[in-house]
Amino acid sequence: MSDVFAEAPAQSAKPTVFFDGVSSRKRQVTLTLGDALEICEEGGTPVRWAYAEIRRADSPPGILRLAAMSAPPLARLEIRDGVLAADVTARCMHLDEHRTTRRGVAKIVGWSVAAAVSIVCVVLFGVPLAADRLAPLVPKPVERRIGDAAEVQMKTIFGRSVCEDPAGKAAFTKLVNRLRDAAGLDDTMTAGVLPTSVPNAFALPGGKVFVLKGLFDKAESPDELAGILAHELGHLKHHDNMRGLIYNGGTSFLIGLLFGDVTGSSAVIFASRSLVEASYSREAETGADTFAIEIMHKLGRSPKPAAELMFRITGKEGGSGLATIFASHPLTEDRLARMTKEDRPPSGPPLLTDKEWQALKGICGSGKM
Amino acid sequence: MNNMQWVPIGSEPLPPPLPPTQVEFTGNRSEFRKLVTKGAMLELVTFGFYRFWLVTDIRRHLWTHTAVDGDAAEYTGRAKELLIGFLVALAILVPIYLAYFLIGIEFERWQGFASLPLFIGFYAFGQFAIFRARRYRLTRTIWRGVRFWMDGSGWAYALRAMLWGLLVVLTLGLALPWRAAALERYKMQHTHYGELSGDFEGDGWTFFKRGWWLWLLSPVALVIFPLVPFLYAEFRAREWRWWLDGIRIGGVSLSSNLPHDAFYGLYWKVIGWWTLLSAVFGAYMIGGTLLVVQLTGVPVDRVFEPDDGAKSIPVVAMMVIGYFAVALAVNIVMRVYLQRDLWAKVLETVEVHDIAAAADVRGSGQLASALGEGFADGLDVAGF
Repeated sequence: MSDVFAEAPAQSAKPTVFFDGVSSRKRQVTLTLGDALEICEEGGTPVRWAYAEIRRADSPPGILRLAAMSAPPLARLEIRDGVLAADVTARCMHLDEHRTTRRGVAKIVGWSVAAAVSIVCVVLFGVPLAADRLAPLVPKPVERRIGDAAEVQMKTIFGRSVCEDPAGKAAFTKLVNRLRDAAGLDDTMTAGVLPTSVPNAFALPGGKVFVLKGLFDKAESPDELAGILAHELGHLKHHDNMRGLIYNGGTSFLIGLLFGDVTGSSAVIFASRSLVEASYSREAETGADTFAIEIMHKLGRSPKPAAELMFRITGKEGGSGLATIFASHPLTEDRLARMTKEDRPPSGPPLLTDKEWQALKGICGSGKM
Repeated sequence: MNNMQWVPIGSEPLPPPLPPTQVEFTGNRSEFRKLVTKGAMLELVTFGFYRFWLVTDIRRHLWTHTAVDGDAAEYTGRAKELLIGFLVALAILVPIYLAYFLIGIEFERWQGFASLPLFIGFYAFGQFAIFRARRYRLTRTIWRGVRFWMDGSGWAYALRAMLWGLLVVLTLGLALPWRAAALERYKMQHTHYGELSGDFEGDGWTFFKRGWWLWLLSPVALVIFPLVPFLYAEFRAREWRWWLDGIRIGGVSLSSNLPHDAFYGLYWKVIGWWTLLSAVFGAYMIGGTLLVVQLTGVPVDRVFEPDDGAKSIPVVAMMVIGYFAVALAVNIVMRVYLQRDLWAKVLETVEVHDIAAAADVRGSGQLASALGEGFADGLDVAGF
């Protein structure tokens, strides 16, 4: 071979390889360490890299892989010889300038903690405040639209028909109207009875209250039912649905942002969301209870029977450990205790006559359920 | 060019077919374990924001220690790109979520639960994200100073994935191999290394023949659930092997002799760790609760009382710390076994044929943005 190879044996044991960043051809090169790094391939024009521009690229152990800022971005020089590598390293003063340093990591940690703290503060204080302020400002038509959607869903679950026995309906309307007037709600609110044996009642956005027929079956006096209805009216009065919607939407978005998952499907998000939302919901329920107590007092009736009805339905709930932190309602026995404290002998007229009460219990027709 | 000058044209004898080249993985296991342990801890103190840096470091580790024909690959993606991709994806996804919510209300007004199909839209988005995230990763993959890249359309891919997905649902999963083949063909045919174009030669029928009995056994596994890891490991190993066998880039082809039982150990180790960690967590919770009871004198059934805010704080704090510690440990276990070990196990079975076809490839292709990665992160469909 020609004498150009004279120097080759020194480097051939651990060859230096150059990829010019234009093609994948593996070029065996020799290096000249002058005032700049000169990369010479047999018969090719030498490539010069200024030391200040050389940066380290990721490489497996035993190889020093270099890139240069002025070269094509993918041009790589791979030095396998330890001595040569040390020699080159010593001359490149900015070799590791582009890497994440300890300070860089500290910066990431610091700023993410700051971001997390501010997100947590917004979840704990900002979002409830925003929900409280914004909910009453939501235009009625918007609220009603959301309520319509929820109503269709409820009716899909509980059956399409509404209980409309005339005498029962008259009694129901009388009861609702008395409560409504006492609550100071306008007459855009509607109430209905759905024919299902589940004992429950709920309020929907846009002033809709639904009582499920099961509740009539369990109720033993008009006061029991009235207290529950008053509680639902409390939800309407406080815009709890819209508040909950804004609050849940806001928290799940922010917590999702924190953990990097905007759909909020993973376990952490689920747990922290449930925890935060449950406590918010318990607060709303307690608020609605307070409202119900006020209304019943205003009408001269006791709120206690309603709590007794709840207790009859749910039984004692406490002692179930962890579940109570995640519960959306206060414990029934606590609610019963509270309402018992507010118990007063009736000072107003009964809300319904016996005849009306019997008619109300038969609002869905008899024996159909 | 130089070669041409020395070798007289025409005198070159036909070379015998070269033996296949191995793919080497030289990554050090304890180094990787340290990397993910440190990363998981930083992820914890940064509430997850560090994930962009950790994911980048993991990829850099795996890529640089993977050598084909003696030359190690390189991953040039950076965490900042992922962060920006995530923020951009967020900016796009938030209005979409809002629109989804509003349209959902209109649908629900018309018919109960009519908005459920809207979820399909998010599925499509997820598929789009998978395609675009793959494009990002490929354009950051460098071998011999030339990058891989991808063309093709994320939406066209999402459409294919949806239609095939529908077929899979209709055939109760039997069409799965053909779906995999069709999607892989689309991805590989739009994959390039410099000026070489990729292709995928695996077909659904081959995959089906290798795994149909797994499909038959899957109802049994629902009853006898210890079988699930075995079946899943079998399925994954067969899928990997079939996939590797089908890959072509230019004249280069891959093959693999991954044994069908290659992943048994990995999955059982993960399950073992998981069980162990759950047991430790359980013991920790019981012990911690008892300790709180001892120290505060609150009876056991009142410790969890939500309304006694002050008293439940120590328990909640203990629970949260324990939970995060377990999550951290599970994270490390999953990354070590299911990313690093699986990677090493698969690579040691891979053979590369006719690598000479990639000896002098001109570079081309542009860098793709990390938007797809952002979507994948936002929608929780991220892979590696």
